[in-house]
Amino acid sequence: MLFSDAKGRKVVSTTTAETIAKVAGFVVDPASRSVVAVEVKKTKDGDVVLWEDVKGFGDDAVTVESDEKITAAVGDVAVLADKHHQVLGKKVLSTAGAELGSVKDVEFDETSGTITGIVLESETAPGNRLIGVGSYAVVIDWSN
Amino acid sequence: MSVLMRAGEVAKRPVVTMQGEDVAQIKDIVYAPGGGEVAGFTLAGRGIFSGPRKEVLAWKSVAALGPDAVMILREDVLVSPDEAFAGVSGSGSGSGHGNVLGSRVLTDSGTDLGKVIDVIIEVSGANGGQCDVVGYEIEASEALKTNSTKVLIPLPDTLAASAEHLMVPAGAVDFVRDDLAGFGAAVDDFRAHLKGSH
Repeated sequence: MLFSDAKGRKVVSTTTAETIAKVAGFVVDPASRSVVAVEVKKTKDGDVVLWEDVKGFGDDAVTVESDEKITAAVGDVAVLADKHHQVLGKKVLSTAGAELGSVKDVEFDETSGTITGIVLESETAPGNRLIGVGSYAVVIDWSN
Repeated sequence: MSVLMRAGEVAKRPVVTMQGEDVAQIKDIVYAPGGGEVAGFTLAGRGIFSGPRKEVLAWKSVAALGPDAVMILREDVLVSPDEAFAGVSGSGSGSGHGNVLGSRVLTDSGTDLGKVIDVIIEVSGANGGQCDVVGYEIEASEALKTNSTKVLIPLPDTLAASAEHLMVPAGAVDFVRDDLAGFGAAVDDFRAHLKGSH
């Protein structure tokens, strides 16, 4: 699934069957090459759902147990949720120091959260080539 | 695989960690004493208001010198000049290839070929690979009889240099090229030619 497809999807509580939020973005951990949390529009309790609290990531909705699963980002997730670590739109550098373009979209596995692809202007780099996501660039071990 | 580039183009290139942070940018190239090789780089901070940085980047700590960025593993490979260039005496002092911009290139037969405007370096491999000085870009004098005003001239492995002049063998004139494409081969041919003639 692509980040762009998943954005805007409703987040539904399996306890109350109510829509409690909408997917606004994703928090990516480059070290594990996976989505560690889903960002939602800020509520009084916070603005992220940790990936381990996502029950189902379906085509129509993301399900969580209850609205208590929407929390404020803390620790590592808070660091990665910082705007400096956003992936979309960022400049992409190869480990050889060549600019490859910018991140247009990200492909991920909706059951595991694993990043499977980094979509650039004209091609897609395999997700397992992701090395780092910093304030200046996304670094991938890949040459086109 | 080896890549040729102008030293002048490396200046201002960002220094980026594998974590994607731009931690500095290249200020100047530091040549090893005796010329011939790049020992490392002095650095400036990022952004228009940041000045020079105390730390330097030794060539051995460069993971890749790419066309758009100089990649390093982590920010902590940037160290003090004493640490980076220990045993590299006289670095950056203007000796050898240290500060050749503006110097006149003179053949050993006494012809002035022109003024040095850039240094051509060859990067072969990285992380333990070499970064050699292989030629100069010069503003050609009339003696060279070339159509272009800027030409590339290959260098021998070692050459005599003063603040005023750089001495090259007269035979270098036959290996002058207009651009970087094909210049690597010209350098190899020139050096092979020198070995053969001694």
